[in-house]
Amino acid sequence: MSTMLNKPNDGIDETLFTLAEYDARAAELGGYSNYSYWRSTWQVFLKNRTAFVLMIIILVLLIFTMIQPYLPNQKLPNEIYLDPATKMQLRNHPPDAEYWFGTNSIGQDLWARIWSGTRTSLYIGVVVGFLTAILGIIVGAIWGYVRRLERLFTEIYNVFDNIPTTVILVLLTYIMRPSLSTLIFAMCITGWLSVSRMIRNMIVIIRDQEYNLASRCLGTPTGRVITKNLLPYLVSVIMLRIALAIPIAIGSEVFLTYIGLGLPVDIPSLGNLINEGRLVMMSASLRYQLFFPAIVLSIITISFYVMGNAFGDAADPRNHV
Amino acid sequence: MNTPEKLLEIKNLSIEFGKKKKRFIAVNDVSFDIYKGETLGLVGESGSGKTTIGRAIIRINETSHGDILFKGRRINGKIDRALDQEVIRKIQMIFQDPMASLNERAKVDYIVSEGLYNTRNYSTEEERKKKVEQALLNVGLLPEFASRFPHEFSGGQRQRIGIARTLVMEPELIIADEPISALDVSIRAQVLNLMNDLKKRLGLTYLFIAHDLSVVRFITDRVAVIHKGRIVELAETETLYKNPIHPYTRGLLSAIPIPNPKLERERQVSFYDPGTHKYEGDAPKWVEAEPGHFVLK
Amino acid sequence: METPVSILSVKDLVIKFNLRGKTLTAIREASMDLYKGESLAIVGESGSGKSVFNKAFMGLLDKNGWVESGSILYKGKDLANYKTENDWLKIRGKEIAMVFQDPMTSLNPLKTVGKQVQEAVELHQGLRGEAAKKVVLDILKDVGISEPEKRYRQYPFEFSGGMRQRVVIAIAIACRPEVLICDEPTTALDVTIQAQILQLLKGLQEKYSLTIIYITHDLGVVANVADRVAVMYAGDIIEIGTADDVFFDPQHPYTWALLSSLPQLGIKGEPLYTIHGTPPNLFKEIKGDAFAPRNPRALQVDFVHRPPYFEVSETHKAKTWLLDPRAPKVERPKSIENIRAQWGVL
Repeated sequence: MSTMLNKPNDGIDETLFTLAEYDARAAELGGYSNYSYWRSTWQVFLKNRTAFVLMIIILVLLIFTMIQPYLPNQKLPNEIYLDPATKMQLRNHPPDAEYWFGTNSIGQDLWARIWSGTRTSLYIGVVVGFLTAILGIIVGAIWGYVRRLERLFTEIYNVFDNIPTTVILVLLTYIMRPSLSTLIFAMCITGWLSVSRMIRNMIVIIRDQEYNLASRCLGTPTGRVITKNLLPYLVSVIMLRIALAIPIAIGSEVFLTYIGLGLPVDIPSLGNLINEGRLVMMSASLRYQLFFPAIVLSIITISFYVMGNAFGDAADPRNHV
Repeated sequence: MNTPEKLLEIKNLSIEFGKKKKRFIAVNDVSFDIYKGETLGLVGESGSGKTTIGRAIIRINETSHGDILFKGRRINGKIDRALDQEVIRKIQMIFQDPMASLNERAKVDYIVSEGLYNTRNYSTEEERKKKVEQALLNVGLLPEFASRFPHEFSGGQRQRIGIARTLVMEPELIIADEPISALDVSIRAQVLNLMNDLKKRLGLTYLFIAHDLSVVRFITDRVAVIHKGRIVELAETETLYKNPIHPYTRGLLSAIPIPNPKLERERQVSFYDPGTHKYEGDAPKWVEAEPGHFVLK
Repeated sequence: METPVSILSVKDLVIKFNLRGKTLTAIREASMDLYKGESLAIVGESGSGKSVFNKAFMGLLDKNGWVESGSILYKGKDLANYKTENDWLKIRGKEIAMVFQDPMTSLNPLKTVGKQVQEAVELHQGLRGEAAKKVVLDILKDVGISEPEKRYRQYPFEFSGGMRQRVVIAIAIACRPEVLICDEPTTALDVTIQAQILQLLKGLQEKYSLTIIYITHDLGVVANVADRVAVMYAGDIIEIGTADDVFFDPQHPYTWALLSSLPQLGIKGEPLYTIHGTPPNLFKEIKGDAFAPRNPRALQVDFVHRPPYFEVSETHKAKTWLLDPRAPKVERPKSIENIRAQWGVL
């Protein structure tokens, strides 16, 4: 439009060449953007097809584990089933129409046991995940923000960090009788450490930004600075950590079961099931007993890892383009 | 004629960072006063110590030697809770970067009310809302902005939110730390007008920290020039600009570009040689060259 | 008199970005000519598009941006059509070089300064080894770095801000470019260093026959360096002319507002002239003149039809309906007349 007009021949109405009314308030409303952080995060997350599919799979799995006991024709996980013909224990019965996943070496229905086990393992994972997160956040936030306590907390961390977690887990399960709460307690005691370090590092980065200085000038107490200024920035990181904590906790449980310190046999868990399956895996016809729980465990682990990482990426504002 | 009240007195203030060998003296034996109702400019280049002084007054930085007196009472170092609360209310700060000085995850309503929550300076929720509304109107923003988030606003609007945040405390002294450096040229005018207007209407006193001498001339009554932690010249604004004495001030003034092509082509820049003043050897003397005009010799 | 030769000619350039699923039009049919040997200043505030505009000349647009229409003619080639890195490699450095705003982040902290300048020399001048090093030392001297032998072996963190900017400039001219684009080269520097750097650039321009584009929002810097000035608003160049034209005879209401709001020109005790409101939302299509909602002197036609360029003189044109013969006589604001009186222009 770099034309030069000598004579007005562009057909514009002459009456338009008069002064227009000026509205100062209208000028103020320009430049409004309705960017929403969480909406953008969700949109970027959805673009990652794999993560989205896995999220659906996990949701379906979760719902199914919850409703499975209430479906018709379900067997009990701990009941030993007898062969109607011989009235003997239905041991190692391969998968068929009646027992979808077969039975184990003492005649228990594997289908029911797997879902019961998944429920238990997920329960452990979620509880440990949340408890370690809460404990880690509290410690990490104070460690990162309150400068007077920084040295003290660093020393405490160093002490705890140097004690091998395996030793603590073994000791605790040995001292207290093996049970669900013992296991959860032991895993929490060892798990909060890395969370607190991560939180502390992030807080050190943002604690001296101008908006935090402004809060200090206004006299905001430490607690509120942490909860309203610092933690909201860390929500995405925290959620990522919890998402990863779940498969980590389940993995720990499997490991403990492997070395004989897991849950008692009457509480089915993925750890128990995998262990039982491991014992018979040499015989080809019995491999299904390892196969099914391992698949379920793999699906859970992979899904949470991929979802967690995808969410972490999506939550980074630099990816909101 | 009544002598104006001294709101803030800085006496022989020194601020050092680090220990022993790695000691860095950011502020070196600085003294000046701020009178009620005036705008005092504190001008220096980066690293001169001007921001450090501002933050020391508002008690973010600790001081090493010397005193800061607010209405006659010492406010640096350890002070009791009542005085601390008073300082929080009466002395406020405007920050430089509007993109970094607001909490992105909080609504404007919370940001502006933050100080009120801390000092519990209101009796009912209604009163608090009214105070926030009044503060927003005072800075030229619409009250409905209280329910929005900072990222929805432009730089100039965000800076005005930052100012509203200080006003709601009803302060007496506001330390403005480079409040317009990060803003666009046309928005600077908006904010400067606003600051002048508020000063007249609410009886505020400003310490205006800046590195841009051309801006400072318009808004300040007196100016102090600071170089490497020492104040080298202090005078009324017009006097300083018309008759600068210290070579550093002259160098600084001659380097400012003038938005006038004809004058720019003729401008000569004189460069200050720091070697001409070796303060480690002879102690510097703070001399009154003419009434109200002080120079470091 | 020599007629100025146009080496870069931009016509009706449109650049768009894809942001969170929506399209933003950052440059809206901007046109400009750059003449050999001159210093052109592009003035604008944030959101005006001045950086995007210049990045398009070197293919430095972000991945989510593209040239929608228009042309960028440089020495007979249309840069708007360049798509591949190979095409741009022929332009970047050798023909058009850029100096960025922040010297802290423009240099590689892990390589010595000498090595970084030498890389540019080896790449663009085809020299190697000792011959290249000699050229590097000469360039370092040219940009005013004393003791170049010693500085050659030092790392960026051992330099001050102003010295680092000199190194960045050294790397840029090592390429022997035709055009040098300086994006806010002195904004991050102290005012005394700024004066030195601007002096340096002027000297280099003479020595190496450079054509320089300065991108800045500081009108003082503009008055110091520019032969011609282009004022940008909302992705369009709304006024362009010589420095004298734009400072002493501004025509567009935005230019008036920009000049009037300078604190240096304010009268103590009186409020500064300000522009209310904020720049327009570039996601939406803009009808008419982009500045109209904020313009107290807007005509009704400003809200309906977009103004074309109107010529004020051979060197000076502006996109405002006020220059149309049909428009009513609108006086420039008092502040502008005051400025002109102050400067003895009348």
